[in-house]
Amino acid sequence: MFSKKMVMIVGVIALIVVNIIILSVNSSRYSSYGSFSYEYGRTAIFFIAPFQKPVTQFVQFLKKIWGHYFFLVSVIKENDNLKKTISHTIDKNNKYREIEISNFRLRNLLNFRKTITSQVIVAEVIGQDPSPWFKTIIIDKGKSDGVEKGLPVVVPEGIAGQVIDVSCNYSKVLLIIDRNSAVDALVQRTRDRGLIKGQSDGRCLSKYVLRKHDIKVGDTVVSSGLDGVFPKGLRVGYVSKIVKPDSGIFQEVTVTPYIDFEKLEEVLVVLDPPKHDFLSE
Amino acid sequence: MTYCFYICACLCLIIFQTTIIPHISLFNNFYDLLIPFIIYLGLFRPTREGILFILVLGFLMDNLSGGPFGLYVTTYLWLFIVVKLLIKYLHARNNILLLFIVAAGVLMENIIFIVSIFMSGPDSQFLTITIRTVIFQILWAVCTGFFFLIFFNHIHTKLEKWFNKLIRDLGI
Repeated sequence: MFSKKMVMIVGVIALIVVNIIILSVNSSRYSSYGSFSYEYGRTAIFFIAPFQKPVTQFVQFLKKIWGHYFFLVSVIKENDNLKKTISHTIDKNNKYREIEISNFRLRNLLNFRKTITSQVIVAEVIGQDPSPWFKTIIIDKGKSDGVEKGLPVVVPEGIAGQVIDVSCNYSKVLLIIDRNSAVDALVQRTRDRGLIKGQSDGRCLSKYVLRKHDIKVGDTVVSSGLDGVFPKGLRVGYVSKIVKPDSGIFQEVTVTPYIDFEKLEEVLVVLDPPKHDFLSE
Repeated sequence: MTYCFYICACLCLIIFQTTIIPHISLFNNFYDLLIPFIIYLGLFRPTREGILFILVLGFLMDNLSGGPFGLYVTTYLWLFIVVKLLIKYLHARNNILLLFIVAAGVLMENIIFIVSIFMSGPDSQFLTITIRTVIFQILWAVCTGFFFLIFFNHIHTKLEKWFNKLIRDLGI
């Protein structure tokens, strides 16, 4: 009566309709506990979950291995980069600190420069004497900057020395602690004169100071300006020891300079020191 | 090439001695670094090659130092002469000699310097400072002088070999 083709079409349509009805019924009762899908779903979980757990754990384990070991290659790189950054930062920080210290020192020098009426030039210490027996320094200013032989060299702490040799761009300075150095000085409090000579131990000796003079340890010694080299009133050092021998008319006065010559970095060269006109008659 | 090596080595030593060493408190009493070099020239190099260089070197150091002019020229020249006489008459160039020759050279230089200072009148602290300085310098020389000599010889030999090979390769 019905052709085979007709039966097949009706069957497919019926199947689609039934399917739609089931889906719509199921979707409206999805949360109900007594549903078919829930019952069988739970059974499926019961059987599958035990297998899922170790597999998941294994996957997690593999992920951990990847993350902690294989992935460390990139971490190492990152670590290296961070280390480099830290190193650069430390280096920069050190530079800034150095600039800060240098700034403080130069400000100090500038303030001192303002107090000196003479014309001065700032010079940097670039070398020291090759021998421990002599105390000289090399500075980076020479003839081209107006430096001449015999000019005084000072720092805020006091007198540093005297230019003894000049080349075009560099000069050699004899420090006051050298044996060959001599500065005419006086004790600030008592105005007693003496000749400051360098000694082997890095200190100075005030020579030709009369025994009768009342000099005490701690007194400040300043330049007298009478030597025609150093401006008057610049600090030389302080009296650190006094020896009055049993005989003789002089006392031995040891003067410790205020300057730490080991740490001398910048100095001022006085370009027009006070000059004395001696009558040559 | 030889003179080039001499100039470079001495320049490095002088700069090191006048700029770096004064800032390191450990080396406060370190000896003159040119002494091992002069002894090396005396021990291993021909007289004619070394003498002119030593005079120039002494002149340079005299210019840098605050000591009486000619002090370094005198010291270096006598040091060179003494080393030459030592190897000529004693025929000694062994390791024991190398171990102490720098210390002897340092002592010799210090004696010349001390005499020159003594002539200008020593101060009260002079003796104490002198003894301390000389002892420290000699100790440093005993500990390090030998290595300087070996180092100079090694570098010079290597450079000479390299230079000769270069000339051969270039076919000059």
